[in-house]
Amino acid sequence: MTSPLVLVVDDDPDILEAICDILDSESYRVARARNGAEALERVDAERPDVILLDLMMPVMDGVAFAKALRERPADRDVPILIISADGNPQRAASVNARGYLAKPFDIEALLSHVADICRPAEPRAGA
Amino acid sequence: MPLFGVEQVPERQVADHPEGEAERGPDDAERRGAFLGFVAHEVRNPLSTALWSAELLGRITAEERGGARGEKLVAMCLRSIARVRQLVEDHLLCERLDAGEFPLRVEPVSAREAVGDAIERRPPDVGEIALDIVPDLLLGVDRALLVRALDALVAMAGRDGTAVRIAAEGAGDTVRLAVSGKAPEEGALEDPVKGTPSDPRGRALALPLARRIAATLGGALTAADGRYLLTLPLAKGGAALPRDVAHP
Repeated sequence: MTSPLVLVVDDDPDILEAICDILDSESYRVARARNGAEALERVDAERPDVILLDLMMPVMDGVAFAKALRERPADRDVPILIISADGNPQRAASVNARGYLAKPFDIEALLSHVADICRPAEPRAGA
Repeated sequence: MPLFGVEQVPERQVADHPEGEAERGPDDAERRGAFLGFVAHEVRNPLSTALWSAELLGRITAEERGGARGEKLVAMCLRSIARVRQLVEDHLLCERLDAGEFPLRVEPVSAREAVGDAIERRPPDVGEIALDIVPDLLLGVDRALLVRALDALVAMAGRDGTAVRIAAEGAGDTVRLAVSGKAPEEGALEDPVKGTPSDPRGRALALPLARRIAATLGGALTAADGRYLLTLPLAKGGAALPRDVAHP
């Protein structure tokens, strides 16, 4: 059985690298994207089980990405966990996300949220 | 005041600028809130990676710490802390200038020497720097602030290894410093707000800072023809130092 695939979306290269390192060390498979447009391409190519999404990004921000994702029937149920430095948890509700982590969050909080999201997940259609 | 003397400017007697605390109205308060939100956002990202990389270094084995992963995490931690430091330094100076709490020391400052000081501070990712500075050009400004403004402009113009050119010439009773390289983006001189793309080098406040410094020194920062133009007062009493002072 393959481990869950987590797509990490953030425009900050160090944030991307650090979160991918954390997840990789816990045996998750990881994919990365620098903005919402890149993330949509990664969703098509990789079929992630969960998406960690920053909100403030160039090209296509997190809210625009989430809305675009929710309009795609095959992807509208992919769980999203918001990771943002904007300090506004209400943004998670606005994009129907499964949770919100305010940077800087604890590593354990991240792993706990990702594990909770992945635990009941059935393999996705087309995965 | 002596011809080339130092003028101590009391606190709060700085140049009029729209960010000044006394002039703030509701719009200014909203703009300031948006600016502080941006600053917080910019600090939280490198703070996150500094904390995570330090924690991961504490979790991994000694063997891993000595290997590629350890090197990567140490480099990330140091890079992140340097980024936070730059942001904090720039923000603190922005706040002091906004509050009129920076004690100015206005004196004749050689354009060539100030540019030289700024070049020494340039980050490693800035490309080659060419100079075209009229000899013996003297500004009547606070030297430390001028160097900080030039440093900020060089960092922005030199992004992604872009070659930078700095030109300086007198124009009436002002000195015009032009910094060209990577062109300013539209609206770059406005205060950034939440949603503005991050700067991974921690220079997100470089332009707001340079703009505040220009205003504080009685000048202005503008963008034109793909260049940053810093216009500042010429030193009172003349444009030239004695040759042996200008070129020791």
